[in-house]
Amino acid sequence: MIQPQTHLNVADNSGARELMCIRILGASNRRYAQIGDVIVAVIKEAVPNMPLEKSEVVRAVIVRTCKELKRNSGMIIRYDDNAAVVIDQEGNPKGTRIFWCNPPRIETIKFY
Amino acid sequence: MRLEKCWFCSSTVYPGHGIQYVRNDAKVFRFCRSKCHKNFKMKRNPRKVKWTKAYRRLNGKDMTQDATFEFERKRNRPERYDRSVTENTLKAIKKIDKVRVDREARHHSQRMKGKKAQVLREATKELEQSIHMVKAPAALQEDSSLTLPKIKVKVSQPTEDNRMLE
Repeated sequence: MIQPQTHLNVADNSGARELMCIRILGASNRRYAQIGDVIVAVIKEAVPNMPLEKSEVVRAVIVRTCKELKRNSGMIIRYDDNAAVVIDQEGNPKGTRIFWCNPPRIETIKFY
Repeated sequence: MRLEKCWFCSSTVYPGHGIQYVRNDAKVFRFCRSKCHKNFKMKRNPRKVKWTKAYRRLNGKDMTQDATFEFERKRNRPERYDRSVTENTLKAIKKIDKVRVDREARHHSQRMKGKKAQVLREATKELEQSIHMVKAPAALQEDSSLTLPKIKVKVSQPTEDNRMLE
């Protein structure tokens, strides 16, 4: 349940460390985002000397949430933190590595 | 599809039940129901919580080592589907379950053995001492069926043995 003002960790090596969600894409008054949703975020904390800088507005896809994800199979998964991967307009990840395992649903959604 | 074990109480988690919690060090905790999940969030140690399998095994209430447990070991090698193997496995599961349950029952009876005499002693004592909780002493004197029957030994001639018995 990510909403605007939510801080998210970044799970790739794009250069950002922490993002703050600004907007959830998909509908005009969409309230919450779950794993697999794309959000617009601003970079709150960045790794120095990388292409991404602080206060840059980027898009990201959510990969981990503390709120449980309910799958159609009945499986419910909950993570320990909220995390996202920075992507560009087409949906390609900006970083080259993604840290730690992600739920398989992400892989089927866009890029892999 | 895989039947997992609940991390807290060690019962099987069937598909569609329970919650999986993935910690940031990639360790997955599976819970069979919210009771176990909530206990986990309270940071309770399952080895100290009386109703869990971990506690019971640790404190000798349940069987710990047995050959039947080997069959349930997790194997990470996928088996090639073979119909006869599946059939035999299903039959074997039934048989192994029966064997395991029998052994557990035997373990339990072994654990509970040796209490019969003590239970009997306690019961007689309670009956003698606390019968006034059940019936008024006056009523007892009239109707003596509630007290334990005193064993009457016929003494024709007081011999040495008889005197010792009384």
